[in-house]
Parts: sequence; C-alpha cells; structure tokens
Amino acid sequence: MIEAHNLSFTYAGSKRPAILDVNLGVDKGEFVVLTGPSGCGKTTFARCLNGLIPNFYQGELSGSITIMGTDISGHTTSELSRKVGFVFQNPENQLFSLSIERDVAFGPENLGLPKEETRRRVDWAMEITGISELREAAPYELSGGQQQRAAIAAVLAMKPEIMVLDEPTSFLDPLSASQILEAVADLREEANMTIVLIEHRLDLASKYASRIVVMDQGRVVLDGPPAKVYGEEAKLIGVGIPKISMLFNLLRQDGFDMGETPVSVEEATERLRSYLKDDRG
Amino acid sequence: MSLNMFEGFKFKRKDTLLHRMDPRPKFLIALTIFLLSLIYVNVLVLLILLTVQVPLVYASKSMRRWFGSMRGGTILAAMIFFMNFLTGSTLVFSATMTLRFLVLVSAFSIFFMTTSPDDLGLALERIGLPYTLSFTFTTSVRLVPTIAIEAQTIVDAQRSRGLELDRGSVIERVRKYIPILIPLIVSAIRRSTELAEALESRGFGAVKHREPLATLRMKRSDWAAAITTTLVLVAGVYVQNTMPIPSFDTGIRIPLPWGP
Repeated sequence: MIEAHNLSFTYAGSKRPAILDVNLGVDKGEFVVLTGPSGCGKTTFARCLNGLIPNFYQGELSGSITIMGTDISGHTTSELSRKVGFVFQNPENQLFSLSIERDVAFGPENLGLPKEETRRRVDWAMEITGISELREAAPYELSGGQQQRAAIAAVLAMKPEIMVLDEPTSFLDPLSASQILEAVADLREEANMTIVLIEHRLDLASKYASRIVVMDQGRVVLDGPPAKVYGEEAKLIGVGIPKISMLFNLLRQDGFDMGETPVSVEEATERLRSYLKDDRG
Repeated sequence: MSLNMFEGFKFKRKDTLLHRMDPRPKFLIALTIFLLSLIYVNVLVLLILLTVQVPLVYASKSMRRWFGSMRGGTILAAMIFFMNFLTGSTLVFSATMTLRFLVLVSAFSIFFMTTSPDDLGLALERIGLPYTLSFTFTTSVRLVPTIAIEAQTIVDAQRSRGLELDRGSVIERVRKYIPILIPLIVSAIRRSTELAEALESRGFGAVKHREPLATLRMKRSDWAAAITTTLVLVAGVYVQNTMPIPSFDTGIRIPLPWGP
C-alpha cells in the first residue's frame, strides 16, 4: 500500500533534516502505530504521505513514495485525498461547517460526486463513527471526542484506502481517547482500511496495533509487532511503552520469563495466569 | 460592550418561522426595511419601520440578543444625533437620522441572528458568487465565535500575569492591548495554516463542479413572503411619490451664528 524509499526532508530555513533516509513499507490492512519523542519526524513523515509535503511545506525532499502502486510526486494533496485520508490533532480546525452533516458531506462534494452518492456515504460514515444522532449539531456544541469522531467521519466519507491520523487523541481526555482509538480500530475491521496512527498514548493504542514503528531524530529505529518492539528495552528512551509491557520486561530481568511481552492488561492477565498454573503444577 | 454587540448578529439555531425561511426572501425583507428607511425622511414612518420589527424579533425568540445589539448601537446612534443637532439640524430631523440608523442595525441584526452562515453561503452561490468566495465568507463567519473565545483566553492569561487593562490614560490603555493582539494574530495565522492543510486534505478544489448535499428550496411560504415584501416596497415607493405626508417637524433647532 505504502512504500517509502530513502525518504528525506529538510524544512526550508532549517539546517537539520526532519526525516532522514526513511524506508518503510506498509501492507494492506495493517494497523501501524508510529511513535517517538516530539520532534522525531513522525508528523513530517505523515505529511509526505498525502502530499502536504512538498505541496504545502517548502523544503528539500528526496527519495520517493509510492501509494497503491503509483509514485505520488507531482500529485496535489486534493488529488491524493481519494486515496489517503488525513485526520489532524485539533478537531476544531478541521470542521468547516455549522452542522456536522454538512461537514461530513464536504469531502464527497469536493470530489464532485452526485448528490445521492454523497448522501449514501455521509450516512455510512456517520453510522460507523457513531455520530448519526448529531447530524444537525454545530461543531462547537460538541465535546472534543465527538468533534474528533466527526472529523474522522468526514475523512471516511471520502472512502480513502489509507487513513493517516496525526495524534487524534491529544486534545482529548483518557476516556474519549480510548473511544476514538476503538473507533479507529473498527474502521480497519468494517471498512477494511489501512491505518497509520501517530500516537503517544501507547498504553491505549498498542492493543489495536499490528505493528509499532519507533522514530528518533528523523530515522526509524525500531519496527515490528508490538510484543517484539516492547521487548527490546534499548532505544526506547522518550517513548512511553505500556506500563504492563514494562512490568513484564522488568520481571524477565529478574528471572521470571513469561514469554512474549504483553501489550494489554488482558493479555498480561492471561500470561500471568498460565504462568502461575505451570508453577503450581 | 464590544462583544455583546456582535452577539446580536450571531446566528443561533432555533426552530422558528423566521429561522426556517429561505435566506433570499429574508434578505429581501431586511433590504426592503432598509430601502424604505432611506426614501422616507419622516420620523413617523421610521418609527413605524422600527416598531414593525419588534414582532419579528419576538417571533424569532431572540428578544434579549436583539436588545443587546440595539444597546450596542446606542453610542453610534447618540453620535449621529448630536452631530446633526449640533450642526444646526432641527430636533426632529436629527431624531429621524438616528432612527434610520437604528432601523438599519435592527433589520440586519434580525437577518443574521436567524440565518445560518451555511445557508447564506448557499444563497450567495445561487446568485452567482464563486464557491471559493462564498466558502471564505462562511468560514470567516464561523470563526468569529472561536476567535472571540481565544481572545478571552489571552486576556485572562495576560491579566493573570499582571497586565492591567483598565488602568491608565487612553494612550496607555491602547498600548496595553498590544500583548493581547500579538498572540491573537499569531494564533490566528497558525489556525489558518491548519485550516488550509485540512481543506487540502479534504479535496478542496479537486473538481470544478461540486454538487452540494444541502440545497436551498423556496417553499410556498417563502414565495409568499417574497411577494408580500415586494408589494410593500412598491407601495412604499408609490405613496412616497404621490401622497403628501405630514413632516411633524417642529422646527426646533440650536440657533447657530451663521443661521440655518
């Protein structure tokens, strides 16, 4: 689906490259959580995926990105919006209308779709994200979590194959954050989407991820399934790995090896239970 | 005062006859009231024009906010009155000019309070404005409350750092607004960048012809309102041109050395 080759980018006016020689391939249906300390280049990488770099941000770009088989250089962001949907941090700045329904319709309208198709997509997107009853509401009447759902629905209605979300939970409280991440996980299931999620809240996001990519200083430093990445304790400075994974790593150091590092409490409970059973038996 | 005045021009979703009306006949009503207030220099007619709006405000359940915008307009209204009266116009003429201003403020306050910027955008498109322009218009209207909240946050933040906005001479006070304005402008610029990014990502401008989901449709009641308003306007112009209307001018004025 996504193929990045030796991708480097330096923002105009900056000396240090924001990303350097990034090579990353993402397959259809994957749920990639992209993480790393602030300023590690994850947002820059995401901006390359839908052409915001180099169309919107000036600078020096080298390397290539192929999305679904086509090289995207020379394509504008609005052309790419059919393939790559992009959800931003602040929901307030990505809703344009005074009613949620019109906002969700905005994308399909821009694609020049006939009215009936727009209507169908709007209903579908609002249904999946669970905001069907908020049709007539104005964005400022909604909670942060509802606004972010609306923003996701708005992107979903354009039916992209890939959804890139840049810290969609950073303006939300923990409960709304976990609900949003669950909604994103549902997209993968119900709409068969490929997800690239930039996220700091690994405690919440990890259980949905099929893969964790850690970036640091513009490079990809770790890449693999969650259990594997969280097992390698090195190089994880600045990345808050789930506490439950950390606990199991520490226990392993003390000689309690319970196998693969768990990424969620449910998984950990399971592992602990079978370990204790073996111990007794 | 400043923000209260804008309250009376801000759309609030309500379910009333006036809120449901198509923006085009509604604009025609506001325009007709305004035009009539221009062609009649008559204190009685202007008083009537102001009074007929009160039931409209009442019907749109926006009385409190309408009073707000009228109160906001009083300073300017007072200025208009004194500028006229002190330069030798008669008392009644000065009052007429003041009333004309209030009629204008009231008519457009009602229009904006009951018309969703989204619908207004659609109406503007209908009358041939390019989509990018009507979109710019609706977005700026939508951003007013957001930026007002932001301004309040900045004021609070600077106050908590010891900025005293209500003290000092006029010049000092103006200068004290600099630490409010700079962060506000910076954040507005940042916001506009984010909005532009999001717009691009939603395919803005991807195709020439877009088919909007929501469209305006003139209902029978909308046509009735439009026709009635047009008749009132025509009748108003006709009466003004054919019938003498008593002017009620008492001729009271300030005696100025150079005479009237």
